[in-house]
Amino acid sequence: MSTERDVQQTLCRMCDDRCGIDVHLEDGRMVDIVGNKAHVWNKGRLCVKARAAIDMAYHPDRLLAPLKRTADGWQEIPLAQALDEIAARLTQIKERDGARSVSVWKGEAIGFGQQEDIARRFIHAFGSPNYLSNDSMCYAARYFGYKLVDGAWPVADLENARVIVMWGANPPHAHPNMTQYITAARRKGAKLVVVDPRLSAIARRADVHAQPHPGTDGALAWGLMRELIRTGGYDREFVERHTVGFPELSAYAATFTPEMVEQETGVPAATVIELAALMAESAPRVSMYVGNGLEHHENGVNNIRAVVSLDALVGAVDREGGNRFVQPAPLRTLTLYDDVPLEHLGPLGADRFPVLYDLRQECHTMTAMGAILEGDPYPLRAMVLTGANPLLTNPNTERVRQAFESLDLLVVRELFMTETASLAHYVLPAASFLERSELHTHAKHQAVTLTRRVCDFPDVQDEYQFWHDLAHRLDMGAYFPWDDETALNRWLLEPSGLTLEELEAHPEGVTYSPLAPPPLERGPFMTSSGKVEFASRYLKDLGYDELPVYKSPEYRGTPDDEYPFVLMTGARKLLYLHSRFRNIPRFRTAVPGPEVEMHPDDARALGVAEGDTVTVTSRIGNVTIPVHVVSPEEIRPGELQITHGWSEANVNLLTHDDRFDPISGFPLMKSVEVRVTKVGAGE
Amino acid sequence: MRIVAVDPDACVACRNCEYACAFRQTGDFDRTRSHIRVNYHPAERACVPLTCMHCAEAWCMEVCPAGAISRNAETGAVEIDKDHCAGCKMCLLACPFGNIGFDSTHGVSRKCDLCGGDPRCVGSCTSGALEYVEENDAFAFKRDALDAKLRQALRLDRGRR
Ligand code: SF4
Repeated sequence: MSTERDVQQTLCRMCDDRCGIDVHLEDGRMVDIVGNKAHVWNKGRLCVKARAAIDMAYHPDRLLAPLKRTADGWQEIPLAQALDEIAARLTQIKERDGARSVSVWKGEAIGFGQQEDIARRFIHAFGSPNYLSNDSMCYAARYFGYKLVDGAWPVADLENARVIVMWGANPPHAHPNMTQYITAARRKGAKLVVVDPRLSAIARRADVHAQPHPGTDGALAWGLMRELIRTGGYDREFVERHTVGFPELSAYAATFTPEMVEQETGVPAATVIELAALMAESAPRVSMYVGNGLEHHENGVNNIRAVVSLDALVGAVDREGGNRFVQPAPLRTLTLYDDVPLEHLGPLGADRFPVLYDLRQECHTMTAMGAILEGDPYPLRAMVLTGANPLLTNPNTERVRQAFESLDLLVVRELFMTETASLAHYVLPAASFLERSELHTHAKHQAVTLTRRVCDFPDVQDEYQFWHDLAHRLDMGAYFPWDDETALNRWLLEPSGLTLEELEAHPEGVTYSPLAPPPLERGPFMTSSGKVEFASRYLKDLGYDELPVYKSPEYRGTPDDEYPFVLMTGARKLLYLHSRFRNIPRFRTAVPGPEVEMHPDDARALGVAEGDTVTVTSRIGNVTIPVHVVSPEEIRPGELQITHGWSEANVNLLTHDDRFDPISGFPLMKSVEVRVTKVGAGE
Repeated sequence: MRIVAVDPDACVACRNCEYACAFRQTGDFDRTRSHIRVNYHPAERACVPLTCMHCAEAWCMEVCPAGAISRNAETGAVEIDKDHCAGCKMCLLACPFGNIGFDSTHGVSRKCDLCGGDPRCVGSCTSGALEYVEENDAFAFKRDALDAKLRQALRLDRGRR
C-alpha cells in the first residue's frame, strides 16, 4: 500500500506575518511545512516557527473535549451541553446585571481582521459594548500616532528607501520576513538606522544604532525635527501646502538642541546631527517603521506622533521609498457599530481614554479588572475569552488572577490548559489556524488570501462555528445567518468581485488592486483638517496637548535609591510569541527559560555571573529569575530586559496597571523602576 | 551546480538556519548539531554564517581513507556516507574552513549535503543572507551592492555640483 501524498497551500499564523506555506501531508496527516515560493509576502522563506505548527496541532496536551469545572475538578462534557449551559448562564447574568456585565476577550492567537470582527459582532449583538483584546496594550497606540498625524497608518515602503529607520522594532524576531525587505533595500544602497535601547538583531546590521534610554524616543524625534528645521533640510513645499501646526511645531522643537537630546536620551549630539543630515539628503525616500517598543510608556502616543511628524517634514508621506497609503480590501465588514450604537452603555475605559474607544472601539482591559473586582465603574461579571492568556500577558498578574477568579462566568477557548484557562468555569477546545478557513488581507501588497482547513478534530469548533452556535442559543441567530465559515467567506468576498474559487486557485495571494504610483496631487488627508496635523485640534478638544509634547519618563527624574534600575519588558524573541510555544520541546532545547538581560558592569556590582539567580522587585511585585550577562554593547548599564510569557518567571508580576499613557491608556511596561538583589544575598 | 551563498552583510544572526539544519539532522534544536554555523561578535556587530562550499577540488574527499566521501551526481554536493565513514577525522583536518563536524554519538563525520537540493537553511533565512544559487554567479549580490553604492555616490556628487 502506498502512502497518499498531498500538498495544501495556506498561510502560517504562528505569528501575524502570515507567510505563505506548503503543508505536506501523508495519508491526511501533516508531515512537513515549507515556504510557498510564490507568496507575495515571504517569497518562500519561513522562520522556524512555521514547521512547529505541526507539533502544536498534534501536541499530546491539546484539549480535544469541552471541560467543566466541578467540585471534583474538571469534568468532560458533550459540546452541546457545554454550549447550552454557557448560554443559560449568560442569559441569567444579562437579566440580573445587564448586557454590559458580559464581555468578550479576543486574544492575539486568534488573529485580527475577520476573526476579530466575528467576536466584535457577537458581543455587540448581545448588547454589550465590552469588547476586550490585546489591542489595548499593543498596536492601537501606533495606530493613534499615525491616524492623528497622517489620517491613516501607511505601510513602510522599505525596499525603495534610501534610508530606513526602525524605531523600537526588531523585525528578525518580531516580523521575521520583513527582514528580507530591509536586506533588499540595503543591497540597493539604503542606509539602515536602528533606534533601540538594546543592540537588537536588526541593529547588528545598522549603519547607525542610536541607543536611547527607554521611553525617550520622543526627545530624539524632536531633536531631529529641530535639526531639519534649523538647517532648512525639511520639505518646505510639503509643509506649507499640506500640514497644519508648523509654526507651533517649530517653536516647540527649538529647545531640543543636540546637547539637550544627548542629555535626555543618551544618544550623542553628533549622532543627532548626523541622522538629521542623512534624512535630509535622502528625502523623501526615508522609510520609518515604528514598533511596539515605543508603545508601553507614559508618553507613548506623543513619542510616536513626534516620529510620524518627521515623515511629513521630509515629505515621505505617501511617497515611493517613504511610506504609502494602501487601499483596504473591498470586503464586507462584520461589525455592527453603524447599525446599533452602544456608546451610551459606557464601554469600559471610554470615559478615561476616549481616543481608545472613539478611534478603535476598543475597551480597556486594565479598567475591566477594576470593573470585575470593585464594580468600578459598574460590575463586569462574565467573560468569554478566546486565544488569550492575560495571566501571563497583562500587567500586574496578581490583580488579573484575582479578577478572573472572581468572575461569575469565565469561558475560555484554548488549544492548551493555560494559566488563564485553568481559572475558567468552562474550557472549550479551540481550532488552530490549520483547522479553519478565513480571508486575509496583505495590506502592503494589496492582496487577499484564503486559508485552508488542512486538518480537523471532532468536537473542535472553528471560531465562526462557536460564535454561531452560541448566538443561535441566545436568540441572536439572525446576526449569524451563515451556516459555516465557507458561506461567511463567500458573503464577505462578494463586493470584491473575486470568488472563493479564484482565491483557492491562487494561494500566493490575489491582488485586489495594484498599488498605484503615489499621486502627484496630494491630499486631502484623512484627518479632520484634511492636512497632516502636527497639532491636533481633536486632541485639544479632548483636553490633551495639541502638539506631541515630550514628557520625560518618571524614572529619568530624581534617582530613586530604592528602585535604581529601569526594566524593559517584552523584547521579542524568535521562537516564542507572547505566552505561546513554551510547550514545543525543541524550542526549549534552544531557549530553555526566562532570563534577565544585564550589562556586565551591573552584574559585577551585584556580584552575579551568567546563570546566577536574582530577585527583581518593582512597586508592583517581584520575580526570581536567572541572569544573562550580555555584551557591553547590547544594553546600557542600569537598564535591564525581561521577555514576557514565561510562567516560571512571569515579568508581568512587576508591570504597572496603574500608570498609563493618557491618550492610548497603554500600561507602563517598558520603563519599570526595579531593584535587583542576588538570591541568597538576603533581601 | 548550485551552492549556498552566504552574505555576512545581510545576516542578523537570528539562527533560523542553524535551528532548521539541526532539526533536519536530529529532530531537535541543538544548534551545535547544525552543519551551517553562525558566529556573532557583538563588539564588531559581525555576523558570520559559514557552511560547506562543496569545493570543486574537495580536499576532504581526497583525504578520506575510507572512500566515504563522494560527490552527489544530481546536486553536486560533497556528501559523507556514514555507513562507510571510519571516524578518523581526517576530513575535519583537511577542510580549510572548519565546515565539517563530528557526531560523537555515532562516531562519524558529518557535513552539509544540500538537503538533496532544497537546503533548509536557505528556506528558513528570513533576512535573505543565504541564497541557493548557481555557483558561477553566486556572489552577484556583492557586485549589485557595489553598483548601488557607486550610483548613490554619483547621485550625491551630482547634487553637490
Ligand atoms: S514569520 Fe514565521 S511564524 Fe510568522 S507567519 Fe512567517 S513563518 Fe510563520
